Amino acid sequence: MSLDTILQQIYDLPLSDSIRENVNAFPLLESLHVLAITLVFGTILIVDLRLVGVAAHRRSADRLIREMLPYTWVAFVVAVITGVLMFASNAPSYAANLEFQLKLVTIVLAGVNMAIFHSTAHRRIADWDLDLPPPAAARISGFLSLALWTVVIVLGRWIGFTLAVVF
Amino acid sequence: MSIQSFGQWLYETPLSTSFRETSWVVPAVQSIHILAIAVVIGSALVSELRLAGLIATDEAPGNVVRRYLPWISRALLVLLASGTLLVVAEPQRTLGNTVFWLKMALVLGAFLTTLAFRRPLLTAPAGNGAVPAKAIAFGLLLVWVVVIFCGRFIAYT
Repeated sequence: MSLDTILQQIYDLPLSDSIRENVNAFPLLESLHVLAITLVFGTILIVDLRLVGVAAHRRSADRLIREMLPYTWVAFVVAVITGVLMFASNAPSYAANLEFQLKLVTIVLAGVNMAIFHSTAHRRIADWDLDLPPPAAARISGFLSLALWTVVIVLGRWIGFTLAVVF
Repeated sequence: MSIQSFGQWLYETPLSTSFRETSWVVPAVQSIHILAIAVVIGSALVSELRLAGLIATDEAPGNVVRRYLPWISRALLVLLASGTLLVVAEPQRTLGNTVFWLKMALVLGAFLTTLAFRRPLLTAPAGNGAVPAKAIAFGLLLVWVVVIFCGRFIAYT
């Protein structure tokens, strides 16, 4: 089964059809998606700025990360669910959209950056927990995360202007 | 001059026309607008959850407000500037739209409420017991959520 066939089958799902047919469905999904993204970026921003060396509301980087990350993850799950539903409503168009493809790649890169941080600098966080600025490895992770999530938001907005919508 | 004729005049200005005819202007300004909203939401979330007593209860409310209130103010200035550019680019879609004016009223209300109830905490870091802290905290967060929905729905009404 080719990718085109799978994308067309997603497009043909009753759920995808109802998102296309209901005038309020797409704006509601978009609003929830934007809300989730502002929560993801807003909470990550606080952690990333702390990693770069800007003071947060508490000195301990470890406690700050543990305090903010649950909110980031819940919001990220909402962003993924609403994103998947919007994708389903026009699967072939999204899959063919360059900005959409680049956005997915950038999200994966942000995930890789996070995984590297957690398996390296974060392992030794007890050594630099209260340091401002933190060691270079943490600062680089924080800076990369800020840059990558900014690109994700910009690409996301660009999809709205470049997508060839089929109704 | 009515809002409609002002919108029509604005629409016909060379600046408005050039914004619409340069394909990257509106998405670029909207991207900046969303990034600034994220700054407001992140700052408001931490401040209000602290004042509701749900996170960082070992930190004084005044310290949390001192860290995030300036960010809310700065981000709102960026939102005002980027939002003005979006109105210049598409006056009819915004100025003649009830949802747009509802959004403006809610933003103003949320910001003034934040200033009225959060600024005093800067000078009296421990004292937030006198006001119904939880109700105001969740009320403010709810208003910011409605602002985001209004923002997206301006494009559809």
